[in-house]
Amino acid sequence: MTNLAATLNQETASEGEALAIVQSRVTEDWLAVWIGLFVFALSLGLLAGIDLLGWAVTTSVWTVPAKALAPASKLYSHLPASFSLVATYFFLLAVLLVGAKALRADLKRFAAGFTAIFIVSYACWFLGSWAYIAATPDKRAALKIPWSLSLTNESGFILALLAGLIVGNFLPGVARWLQEAVRPELYIKTGIVILGGFLGIAALEQRQLATSVIFRGICAIIEAYLIYWPIVYFVSRRYFGFSREWAVPLASGISICGVSAAIATGGAIRARPVVPIMVSSLVVIFAVIELMVLPFAAQHFLYNQPMVAGAWMGLAVKTDGAAVASGAIADALIRAKALAVTGVIYQAGWITGVSATVKVFIDVFIGVWAFILAWIWSAKIEPRSGEKVKVVEIWQRFPKFILGYVATFLIVLGIGIAAPGLIPKVKASMGQANVFRAIFFLMTFFAIGVLSNFRKLWQEGIAKLAAVYVLCLFGYIIWVGLLISWLFFHGVLPPTLKG
Amino acid sequence: MKLNMTEPRLAEELKKMEGEYEPLLPVERKLIWYTFSTGVVLLAIFVLISRWFV
Repeated sequence: MTNLAATLNQETASEGEALAIVQSRVTEDWLAVWIGLFVFALSLGLLAGIDLLGWAVTTSVWTVPAKALAPASKLYSHLPASFSLVATYFFLLAVLLVGAKALRADLKRFAAGFTAIFIVSYACWFLGSWAYIAATPDKRAALKIPWSLSLTNESGFILALLAGLIVGNFLPGVARWLQEAVRPELYIKTGIVILGGFLGIAALEQRQLATSVIFRGICAIIEAYLIYWPIVYFVSRRYFGFSREWAVPLASGISICGVSAAIATGGAIRARPVVPIMVSSLVVIFAVIELMVLPFAAQHFLYNQPMVAGAWMGLAVKTDGAAVASGAIADALIRAKALAVTGVIYQAGWITGVSATVKVFIDVFIGVWAFILAWIWSAKIEPRSGEKVKVVEIWQRFPKFILGYVATFLIVLGIGIAAPGLIPKVKASMGQANVFRAIFFLMTFFAIGVLSNFRKLWQEGIAKLAAVYVLCLFGYIIWVGLLISWLFFHGVLPPTLKG
Repeated sequence: MKLNMTEPRLAEELKKMEGEYEPLLPVERKLIWYTFSTGVVLLAIFVLISRWFV
């Protein structure tokens, strides 16, 4: 979505650029795989006794700012925290500049934009880790504070989103200056590749539960394609009078996985590039609204059913970034509330893991769904002589970052099964990789905010398109998503640390 | 050729659609109905499997 999304905040783009926007997604997908695998591979240096990422900066919940930052590994504890922060910045800058070069981005503008995004995002993370905001009730005594909002340090995600929204809606000049580096899909997909290893650890520790989650995740996705899509398509065609060219990307955007699905299915039925782009802009806006509302609703109503909440985020929130981000916020909020209300401490990461698993499985089938629609359109609805749909298109439309996610998951699982003695070291490795996963997530939140230009979309006359979205999303998808999440995940609980 | 993101303006596109309504074809109705009913049946089957066997 990177270039696409960046374009949404631009006034103009050439037609060629609009096509390149759609085509460049594959490159960005692969890039996320390679960057994610690179960080993952470096973290595995611990298995050979080489600490390659221990210098990376971590932020703990703080009351004294000077004590907030520290290197991830004890081996590097002698390093000043400021050095650790700067080293993390330069490492990410170097890695992403290589990626930006591969994407043929303007490197100077990318470096400048990335620098600003990193600084603002990390500042939000730092602020979100302030004890009065982040500390859970069980930590207040140790931190010597009388009260706290109990939002955990993931509140930094929300602050990053708000900062992005301010830039996107009130500082258009700054948004344009940043746009080369505003790449939420690249950041979230890289984060998801790294997350695969983290979930591999979770699966090693709770194999039966992990198997159950994966099976239920696969089951739950049928809803996105078979139950959501036809209803949204029918409503937009029958009651709102949309043409097929608009109804297909719209139904896919609302039902499946936002931007990716709108573009893939729009291409499948030969819609003009501008159509999925318009739909995508709407998807991004509503994903932000969901991101700001649903995790808090989940915390309030589903704190005793955390896995239902995780699946709900994956099924109801569109776009990969916003869905996994919602899962991460719900993870933090629900664990904090469960602790406060019931005294149960759920293991971190399972709610995010369920959201990511559901989302990943949904993504897997985008290519298949686009292929099916392409076949129906070319054979039955708009037949064109001599035109055949090729099976290879399924692969072409397959989101490649999923390969990275599966690879890191299976590598960690394989190492753990083959050599159980290495599990503590693998766990430490994934802990280090997770530092970068959190930073990629953070930058995703900020970037999503920057791209959400509410005012411009309203000026575009988006009301009717938005009406379909509001009706289907808030009147149907969210509730059916909740029902199906409940059916599949009710009673499935994350492991607890203590009761 | 420059493609202004405000052209075609969405408002104009929507106005155009109001004048040129494309009725639902039988094949579209079949797609909607078969997809939805398959989804409901599979949902019931998978819920039972997930409750009893997994």
